[in-house]
Amino acid sequence: MADDNYVRDDEDFDEEEVDETSYRSVKDAVLFAIDISSSMLTPRPSNDAKKPTEVSPASAALRCAYHLMQQRIISNPHDMIGVLLYGTESSKFYDEDGKSRDDLSYPHCYLFTDLDIPSADEVKALRALAEDEEEACKVLKPSEERVSMANVLFCANQIFTSKAPNFLSRRLFIVTDEDNPHAESKSLRSASFVRAKDLYDLGVEIDLFPISRPDHDFNTSRFYDDIIYKTAPSDGEAPAYLKPDTNTATAKGDGISLLNSLLSSINSRSVPRRSLFTNVPLELGPDFRISVNGYLLLKKQEPARSCYVWLGGETPQIAKGITTQSADDTGHVVEKSEIRKAYKFGGEQVTFTTEEQQALRNFGDPIIRIIGFKPLSALPIWANVKHPTFIYPSEEDYIGSARVFSALQQKLLKDQKLALVWFIPRKNATPCLAAMVAGEERVDENGVQKVPPGMWVIPLPFADDVRQNPEYARHAPPDDLVDAMCNVIGQLELPKKVYDPQKYPNPSLQWHYRILQALALDEDVPETPDDKTTPKFRQIDKRAGDYVMTWSELVDENAKSMFGGTAATKSTLVKRGPKDHDAGNPPSKRVKVEGGTTNLDDDVKRSFERGAVAKLTMPILKEFLTAHGRATAGKKADLVDRVEQFYEEKI
Amino acid sequence: MAQKEATIYIVDVGRSMGERRHGRSVTDLEWAMQYVWDKITTTVGNGRKTANVSVLALRSDDTSNELREDAHNSNISVLSRLGQVLMPDIRSLSDSIKPSNTNRGDAISAIVVAITMINEFTRTLKYKRKIVLVTNGTGPMSDNGLEEIQKKIVSDGIELDILGADFDDPEYGVKEEDKDPHKVIFTPKKWWESCLCSLQTHRHKMRACFVDSLKAAGGTYGTLEEAIAELETPRIKAVNPMPSFKGMLRLGDSQKYETAVQIPTQEEEGDPKPSQGDALTAVRMARTYQVDDPSAVGGKVDVERDDLAKGYEYGRTAVHISQIDENITRLDTFACLDLIGFISQDKYDRYLHMSNANIIIPERANDKASLALSSFTHALHLSSFYAVARMVTKENRAPLVVLLAPSINAGYECLIEVQLPFSEDVRSYQFPPLDKVITVSGKTITEHRNLPNQDLQEAMDNYVDSMELDHKDELGNDVLPIDESFSPLLHRIESAVRHRAVQPDNPILESPEILTKFAHPDEELVKNSASLLENLISKADVKKVPPKTKGRKRQRETEKPLSGLDVDALLNQEPKRANISPDNAIPEFKQMLSRAENIETIIGAVKQLCAIIESQIKNSLGDANYDRVVEELGTLRDELVDYEEPALYNDFLRSLKSKMLLEELGGDRRELWWLLRRSKIGLIDRKASDRSEVSEEEAKEFLSPS
Repeated sequence: MADDNYVRDDEDFDEEEVDETSYRSVKDAVLFAIDISSSMLTPRPSNDAKKPTEVSPASAALRCAYHLMQQRIISNPHDMIGVLLYGTESSKFYDEDGKSRDDLSYPHCYLFTDLDIPSADEVKALRALAEDEEEACKVLKPSEERVSMANVLFCANQIFTSKAPNFLSRRLFIVTDEDNPHAESKSLRSASFVRAKDLYDLGVEIDLFPISRPDHDFNTSRFYDDIIYKTAPSDGEAPAYLKPDTNTATAKGDGISLLNSLLSSINSRSVPRRSLFTNVPLELGPDFRISVNGYLLLKKQEPARSCYVWLGGETPQIAKGITTQSADDTGHVVEKSEIRKAYKFGGEQVTFTTEEQQALRNFGDPIIRIIGFKPLSALPIWANVKHPTFIYPSEEDYIGSARVFSALQQKLLKDQKLALVWFIPRKNATPCLAAMVAGEERVDENGVQKVPPGMWVIPLPFADDVRQNPEYARHAPPDDLVDAMCNVIGQLELPKKVYDPQKYPNPSLQWHYRILQALALDEDVPETPDDKTTPKFRQIDKRAGDYVMTWSELVDENAKSMFGGTAATKSTLVKRGPKDHDAGNPPSKRVKVEGGTTNLDDDVKRSFERGAVAKLTMPILKEFLTAHGRATAGKKADLVDRVEQFYEEKI
Repeated sequence: MAQKEATIYIVDVGRSMGERRHGRSVTDLEWAMQYVWDKITTTVGNGRKTANVSVLALRSDDTSNELREDAHNSNISVLSRLGQVLMPDIRSLSDSIKPSNTNRGDAISAIVVAITMINEFTRTLKYKRKIVLVTNGTGPMSDNGLEEIQKKIVSDGIELDILGADFDDPEYGVKEEDKDPHKVIFTPKKWWESCLCSLQTHRHKMRACFVDSLKAAGGTYGTLEEAIAELETPRIKAVNPMPSFKGMLRLGDSQKYETAVQIPTQEEEGDPKPSQGDALTAVRMARTYQVDDPSAVGGKVDVERDDLAKGYEYGRTAVHISQIDENITRLDTFACLDLIGFISQDKYDRYLHMSNANIIIPERANDKASLALSSFTHALHLSSFYAVARMVTKENRAPLVVLLAPSINAGYECLIEVQLPFSEDVRSYQFPPLDKVITVSGKTITEHRNLPNQDLQEAMDNYVDSMELDHKDELGNDVLPIDESFSPLLHRIESAVRHRAVQPDNPILESPEILTKFAHPDEELVKNSASLLENLISKADVKKVPPKTKGRKRQRETEKPLSGLDVDALLNQEPKRANISPDNAIPEFKQMLSRAENIETIIGAVKQLCAIIESQIKNSLGDANYDRVVEELGTLRDELVDYEEPALYNDFLRSLKSKMLLEELGGDRRELWWLLRRSKIGLIDRKASDRSEVSEEEAKEFLSPS
């Protein structure tokens, strides 16, 4: 019963990111343009003695593209991705097979993956190419003739124009180690600049991922500074060109570090910036406002819902559901505007007109209004209801917003303060009281920004939302017991004593898509999931085992003296059978904290061995299953099955 | 389960209740009913069958009650019997509660009737029993059997609340001038006492006894004024905590200690869930399914629900899953709470909290677990660590990574549990630093118009310091005013629904002030920091951008690449760009405009683009070119707003609309028209461009379905 009230996922429908003003559809298209030259194809040895692999820059780029493709299927299922190889001997474009050389529109441009939402076959093909499978590698042959960059850019232009019309964000990712493609020809250079301007005017953003050669640092000023624009066409405030980023990719890395830095910098651009709200006033005092934009930097990623598939055709097809609403009595179709919301009340429905409904929900225009400041310590760790919103200044409504915001952010950082704000993120949104805290910029080891500098608005719970803590019997622990536990904790710090979300992919989400991928590509379904959230048991045992023993003995001693033997311990739910260790593992140092006389696990195990699990009572079965994290729903036969399964798995 | 309730409201409807007094716009009865209705409708709104309510009318014209044989009990009518109140009851009640033509009727007898009714209804079962009497206290009183009544109230555990209209409460600060000569007493308490006394010989004994008994039974006296004022403070529904997880908090394989129970503490849906539907007839949802079929008319064909299998999308590939494999994509898990490691408290970023907070406490009645968990909590606290753990609340649920934080207060201790983000939950959008500016050439500068200078920083520091809030708890610690802030939407809609149920014809009420208490800073605080704010405003020198110029091309200056190269000069050298090519229409159109030196060039460019748009519509197979057309039209519109030539766009759009609706552009193009409407690229009105001749209404009319 608790389950039904207890909703873990926060399905907040009015939080979808929408662009209120634009006629463009809020979608993203990324086209990789990967330079296939002989230097790009030269493998670079890795210095790592343990993993003597060789990776060429081109293959690193393809792996990144493959990685991004897989990732976007999960995170942005409606966004497009494509891969264009250039500088290849062969050419491929729509309806052109590259055989007759004369009528080629874009020679040495090979559209390997057309710009679209990827299909399973395309994922497979790209993977084959990235993993150096022979057949696929016939494509990766550099041409002797130099490819015209103007042509490459116009080719990209045509792909975007025809495949991703009216997209809010269109991005061309160029991966190359050539910093001066047309050093010798002025006209080819100018042609490239003109085509780059076309892309800019079309609203396509160029993101460069430069790779330095072992003997030569990539120098953007030689060519690329002329084709890349300072601001992104779709997002005027976004600096398309964050300098620190590109510096890192230009490091003369060996194969693996090149791949890693490329991955890191592509990952940081994997999704275009989409705002949650734009130009909302941040009111510092009466008559003093600046404007800010809001972004969702943290949002729970859920697997896409299941859909219906039509199997009547040659290939399975997704059926689109269309909902029509009709009146219950007459059956005639009703328009949205005819529908009113009703509230159940006293067995009947109470209704409001649309205008009244709107008036009820209207608590004023969107605003973030500061009503005062408090030390950061006033914000309790429990006072949280959902993910925060990130805000960053915008100069569009108020010139000077950036400097005021910066002054406020620095003051709050310096003095460890928070601002208490009245928060209405968008029109007709429910207002709430929120804590606005300053966030510092964080960069990773490659110098790529991980957490941007700005402020976070954390919605606070209302008095209505706070529940009463249930009472229970508390026993103050003696100091030596606490110290013993401190020793255990001290042994098990996470790296750098911080939680890094990047190290923990969501295991159930990954598994869901891993299986789908296997089914879609007709591969074998993998046996065991790769779950990074599973604790490192062996390491824990090695590092903290002895301290744990000390602590547990102390618990036993104290419990004995405080509660006298077993009297105070709850009767049955006390023992579990030891987890069977694999032969190679060190012997189990299991600690039985629990006292008590009845031994549930042993009883159940004995019953199992006698084949008499069915004779156990329901409460015992339930307690046993709960203790082992198994479900306890269902009839007795189900529970018996589950218990038997539990032991069968262990044998 | 909430307790069963039996509540009887005794409403004085005597003739004197129909009067308006003390400058109030409503009669005493209407005033009193504000309170009663609020109480009754709150009960109704909860929708509980076990909440029984009855209404008695006192000093009514007629008599209808169980004890009517007794002459004392005349002019008392049962308006509704004890039971769940539904809408029809509310309607009949609001019809029957009217001032009567008499002032006869005994309040004490009404209480007797109510006690009898409660007795009959609840017998000896466990009930919350309550009687609420609302009166202006001008009626007569009888002392018949008063002592027994008092005893009965106490022994039955009935709570008796008495609310008086125009009871002067000196503490509440209302003084009434035109005192009823018979009503010489000033407080409700004294009024009661005096009413009783005037009829009682053993007055002292009686008075003490009755008052005490009221108190003993948890009863209250009060004035209506206080009661109605209190209505504004939202009532919070208490929610019983329920454990959502029972299992072991485990560290590694070697250490296990006895069960921790996890109980959700917070978060309640903030929005009452409205049931969809029309007042007259419910709406039925019907779903039909379509798949793409290029050979069919319109490119789509309906399919039967029975021909469909369950599946998922992998990219644009449909993966169907047979019924046997239904759970194939589900990760098999068992319930657990396994510690992963520990992190430093001062290095934790508070904004990583992803969810509401739950608490972890030891298994009930397990002293050893309590001791063990407590040592863990204290150790975390002492060494300033948080724990990170993997949690599965039930078998086969998705694993979560949670933060466990120690919470130790004087009276309570537990672990706070909140969800942490997984790598997929983090979106890395990048933003430039706020404390420095990095130039294109990679130089770091610290003085820039986007950075505060020292004056501004100082002004900000001073202002922030002056706006410090002083909320403190009993121990003097800084706290946030969470317990004083109520969900505005929840309470506003609930009260509107209640109000509407009783008074269907009245307009909705304004939002009560208490709900928006924190919408603005405290006036005192603002006053005290006004001069510092003024200083900050002058140092900040923020300028509002006039709405008209917003989004307009800044000085029509074309954007340049990082190097600052003049691409326009290069463009001018390209001879072939005299005509806009349909393949590259948008860039070439924009470039042609930016190079235009006279209006003729602009008109020419617009003409060319318009021709391209029309031909694309004409040649569109189904909806193939629609997105392109929308993009081109949108660009055309934006540019012509910027170049202040709205008429060029408006004329074209008008002719395009008529051509499309007359099917002159390759057949039925209504779907495109619908798409244009949805994309809001209609006529440019005066709001968008002051050069436009089109009014906002006209633009709206143009887009409305014809």
